[in-house]
Amino acid sequence: MMSTQFPWLTVLILLPLVAALPIPLLPNKYGRTVRWYTLSAGLIEFSLMLYAFWQNYDLNTPGFQMVESYPWIPQIGLNWSLAVDGLSMPLVILSGLVTTLALLASWQIKDKPRLFYCLMLVMYSAQIGVFAAQDMLLFFLMWELELVPVYLLIANWGGQNRLYAATKFILYTAAGSIFILVAAFAMAFYGGDFTFDMQALGDKSYSVAFELVMYGAFLLAFGVKLPIFPLHTWLPDAHSEAPAPVSMILAGVLLKMAGYGLLRMNMEMLSDAHPYFAPVLAILGVVNIVYASLTAFAQDNLKRRMAYSSIAHMGFVLIGIASFTTLGVSGALLQMISHGLIAAALFFLSGVTYERTHTLSMKKLGGMAKQMPTVFALFTAGSMASLALPGMSGFVGELSIFLGFTSSDAYSTTFKAVVVVLAAAGVILSPIYLLSMLRQVFYGDASEAVAIPGLTDAKPREAFIALCLLIPIIGIGLYPKLATQTYDATTVALTTQARDGLSTIARQPMLDIELPFMAPTVLGTEAQAHLVD
Amino acid sequence: MDFANLSAQLNAGAILPEGIVIITLLVTLVWDLIVGRSSTKVTPYVAIVGLLIATGTLFLQWDTTEPISFLGSFNGDAISLIFRGIIAISAAVTIPISIRYVEQSGTSLAEFITILLTATVGGMFLSGADELVMIFVSLETLSISSYLLTGYMKRDPRSNEAALKYLLIGAASSAIFLYGISLLYGLSGGETRLSAITASIISNGLDESLGLVIALVFVIAGIAFKIAAVPFHQWTPDVYEGSPTPVVAFLSVGSKAAGFALAVRLLVSAFPLVSDQWRFVLTALAILSMVLGNVVALAQTSMKRLLAYSSIAQAGFLMIGLIVGTDAGYSSMVFYLMIYLFMNLGGFACVILFTLRTGTDEINEYSGLYQKDPLLTLALSICLLSLGGIPPLAGFFGKIYLFWAGWQAGAYGLVLIGLITSVISIYYYIRVVKTMVVKEPQEMSEAVANYPEIQWNLTGMRPLQVSIVVALVFTSLAGVLANPLFNLATGSVSKTPMLQATEPMTPVVSQAPEQLPMPTVESVDL
Repeated sequence: MMSTQFPWLTVLILLPLVAALPIPLLPNKYGRTVRWYTLSAGLIEFSLMLYAFWQNYDLNTPGFQMVESYPWIPQIGLNWSLAVDGLSMPLVILSGLVTTLALLASWQIKDKPRLFYCLMLVMYSAQIGVFAAQDMLLFFLMWELELVPVYLLIANWGGQNRLYAATKFILYTAAGSIFILVAAFAMAFYGGDFTFDMQALGDKSYSVAFELVMYGAFLLAFGVKLPIFPLHTWLPDAHSEAPAPVSMILAGVLLKMAGYGLLRMNMEMLSDAHPYFAPVLAILGVVNIVYASLTAFAQDNLKRRMAYSSIAHMGFVLIGIASFTTLGVSGALLQMISHGLIAAALFFLSGVTYERTHTLSMKKLGGMAKQMPTVFALFTAGSMASLALPGMSGFVGELSIFLGFTSSDAYSTTFKAVVVVLAAAGVILSPIYLLSMLRQVFYGDASEAVAIPGLTDAKPREAFIALCLLIPIIGIGLYPKLATQTYDATTVALTTQARDGLSTIARQPMLDIELPFMAPTVLGTEAQAHLVD
Repeated sequence: MDFANLSAQLNAGAILPEGIVIITLLVTLVWDLIVGRSSTKVTPYVAIVGLLIATGTLFLQWDTTEPISFLGSFNGDAISLIFRGIIAISAAVTIPISIRYVEQSGTSLAEFITILLTATVGGMFLSGADELVMIFVSLETLSISSYLLTGYMKRDPRSNEAALKYLLIGAASSAIFLYGISLLYGLSGGETRLSAITASIISNGLDESLGLVIALVFVIAGIAFKIAAVPFHQWTPDVYEGSPTPVVAFLSVGSKAAGFALAVRLLVSAFPLVSDQWRFVLTALAILSMVLGNVVALAQTSMKRLLAYSSIAQAGFLMIGLIVGTDAGYSSMVFYLMIYLFMNLGGFACVILFTLRTGTDEINEYSGLYQKDPLLTLALSICLLSLGGIPPLAGFFGKIYLFWAGWQAGAYGLVLIGLITSVISIYYYIRVVKTMVVKEPQEMSEAVANYPEIQWNLTGMRPLQVSIVVALVFTSLAGVLANPLFNLATGSVSKTPMLQATEPMTPVVSQAPEQLPMPTVESVDL
C-alpha cells in the first residue's frame, strides 16, 4: 500500500527526532537558545499536525486514513506503516498539545538543558509513533523508545526519591512490554500467513483460547501502563517524583497510550475474546476507582494525591471499554482526552506551586489564595474539571461512560447496578479529596503554614499554559461534539465489531473453555436488531 | 611442479585474506626490528590497513564458487567469510583503541600488535577450518596468542594472574576438546575432514554409539570455554578484570566470534547424527548463560567485570540463533555478532579512555562524568543501551531478529527467557548511564572531579577518539539502516551449502504445535 500523497505522519514522527539532533551543537547562552529552539520545534510540529489533519483527515470515514507503508526490514517483516483513525487522531493531537505546552512549561530547567530538551523531543516522536503505528513491531519499537527518555527525565530532574521512582518506572514498563512483543510474535506467526500488520492481524481468525491468552498478555502490558489496580504501584512514585513538565506528559499522554492499546489491540483486534474479559475490565475499573480514590484521600503529597486521582480516572476508561455500547466507548475515549488535559493542567499547576514553595506537602502549605490568586483560580478550575463538574469535559466523559454502561445489554442488571453504584461512589469521593486538597493548600490561615516570603503569583507564561489546557476542557464540556466528532465514526464501527464478538459467543452457548469470571448475559437477537437501527 | 600449478591445485586463493594478515604481521615485526621504538608511529596504521585490505579481499570472495581449498582442510564458504570479516574488523578496531593504552603502560606496541595479529590469523583460520587437525592448530594459535596478550602488562600482577588463570583453564579445555576430536577421529575410522566424518561413522555402523555423544560433550566443553558460556565461564570475570582492556575487547568480540564460527561448523557438519543432543546441551548452556550472566552482572561494581558478565549473557542470546538452526536462526546470529562487534568494542573503547584519564574502572567513579566529558558519556551510554536492546539502537534490532528467529522455530521457552533476562539487563546497563548522567556536581566522584583536560594530541589519542566515534555512529544507525547488514547476514547463510543441507530443530515445546507452524522463509521474504 504505497500512498502517493505527502507522507505527513512520517514527517510528524521524524521532525522532533531530527530537531533533537543539532541540540548538542547549539550555542547556549544563559540557557535561552536551546529552549527557544525546542519550543519553536514543538510549535512547528503542533501546527503541522493540525494543518495535516485539517487538510487530509475526513471525520466521517471510520477506517484508517493517511495510510503510509514502506518496507523497513523485510527480513523480519518490519514495515514503517503508519495511519490514523478516530482512535488515534485525537490522541495524536492531545500529545502534540500537551508536549508542546510541557516544553513551554520547562522554562525553569537550568540544569543540563540540552539533554533535557533532546529527551523531550525524543518522547514527542515516540508518543506520536505509538498512536500512528500500524505495524505491531513498529508499535513495540515506539513503545520502548519512550522508556529511556522518561527514565532519564525522572532520574535527572525529579524530586527527592527520583532514582527509586525512575528505576521502578523503567522496570515495570519494560517487564510489561515483554508481553506486547510476545503477543505480537504469537499473533504474527499464527496460521500460515506471516504479518505484523495490525489490520491483517485483526482480520486473522484465531481460536478462542488463543485469543484469550493474547488478550491476557496485552492486558498485562497495558495494565502496567494504564495502570490497573495491582500493577499500579510505579505510578504514584513516578508521577510525584518527576519534574512538572514530565509529569504533564506522563499523566497527560503516556497513560493514554495504554488506553489506546486496550482499544486497538484488545477490543478491536481480539474482539472475540473481549466479551469474556469485559466483565473483568469493568470490575478492575471499579476497583481502580474506589481504591485509588480512597488512597488519594490519605496522601499528604500534592502530586501523589493527583497521581492517585489519575488512577481513579483511568478506571472509568476501563468501564467504558467494557460497556459494549457506542456511548460507553466514546465516553472512554473522551475521558482519556479530558483526563489528558486536566491531569496536565493540574500537574503543571502543582509544579508552579512547588517552584514557589519548594514543598509538596499539603500540611506545610496553606492560605496561599491571597498571595497567588491566579494560581488559585486556575487550580480550582482544574480541580473542578477533575471532579467532573458539569460544563467541564470530565463531566461529559464520565456521564457518557455511566450512560453507556447502564444502557449496555451485555450485562445483567445486578452486575450493572453494582458497578455503577460503586463507580458513582468514586465520583463522590473525588470531590472529597480534591476539595480538601484545595482547602489545605489555598484556603485557611496562612499563619498556620510555613511562612514563605516573597510568594509571587503566576507569571503570564504560566497562566497562558494553564489556560491553553483549561479552554479546551471547558470547550468540550460545553460543546462535547468538539471532541466527539473527531472519533465518532470510528467508535461506532469499533463497537459494532465488538458486538459481533458478543453475538458470536451468543450463538455458541457451549463454550470449550472456562469463563474467566462471569458470563455476560447476552443480548437476544431482537435487542440486537434494535441496536443496529 | 611449479608454484602456480601447486597453488591452483590447492586453491590457495581462498586464504588470501589470511595471507595478507600474515604479511602485515611480518612487516610489523621486521619494521620494529629495523627501526626500533620509534616504529610505533607507523606500525599500528600498517596493521589496520592490512586488516582492512584483508577484509576487502574477503568481500571479493563473496561470490566464490570454489570455496574448498588445501584438499579440504579449509573451507572459504560464505559463512566463514562473514566470520573472518568480523574477526578481522574486531582486530582492526582493537588496534586503534590499544595504542594509547599500551604506550602509557610502557610496553612495546609492535610486539603487542604482532601477537594480536597472530591471534587474528588463528581466529580467521578457525572460522574456515574444515578438518580436525586444522581446527586444533588454528584454535591453539588463537588461544596461545590470547594467553600472551592477557599477560602482556608484565609489570602488573593482576595481568599476570589473569594470564595464568586463562592459561591453566584454557589448556585444560583444549585438552578436553582434543580428546573429543580424537574420539571423533577414532569413530570415523581415521577421517579428519568434517564433511566426511558423518558418512564414515554411518558406514562403520557407529551412529548410535555412546562414544559419539561423549565426543560431542567434550567438544562442546571446548567451544563453550571459547564463547564463555555458563558453566564454562568462570575464567571470564577474572581474566577480563586483570587483562589489559584492549585485549579484553578483542577477547569478547574476536575470540568469541571465532568460537561461534567453530561451533557452527563443527556441530553442523560433524555432529548431525546427534543434533538433538547438541541442541539440548546448548539450550541448557544458553539458558544458564542468559540467566546467570544477567543476574550476576547486577551485583558488579567494576566496569570490566560488568562487561564480562554482560558478554556471557550476550553469548547466551547468540546461542539462540545457533540452537534453532533455521536459516533465520543462523543469520540472526551473524547479524547480532556484527552489531555486537561495534557496540561492545565501542563500550570497551570508552572504558579504555576513562581508565586512561582516571586510572580506575570502578562504576562509582563514573559519577557525574556528563559534566566533564559529554562525548564519552554519550558514546558509553549509547553502547550500553544498545547492549541492553533499547530502540532505536542497533542492539534492539539484533535482539528482535534473534527472538524473531527463535519464535519462528518454536523455541518459545528460550525466547521468553531471553526477553525476561533482557529486562533484567536493562537495569544494570542503565545503572551505569544513571551514574554518569544523573549525579549532581556535588556528588561527583573524586576521579571525575580531578578529570584532566583532554589532550587529543598525545600519541594514540586520536585513533581512540576516531574509533569511539565510529562505534557510536555505527551503533546508533546500524539498526535503523539495517538492510545491508541483514542482506549480508541472510546471504552468508543462504550461500553456505553446509547450512542449507541441515534440518532445523524440531520444536521442543509441544504446546499446540499445529497452532504455530513455521512459515517458510519464502513467505517472509516479502
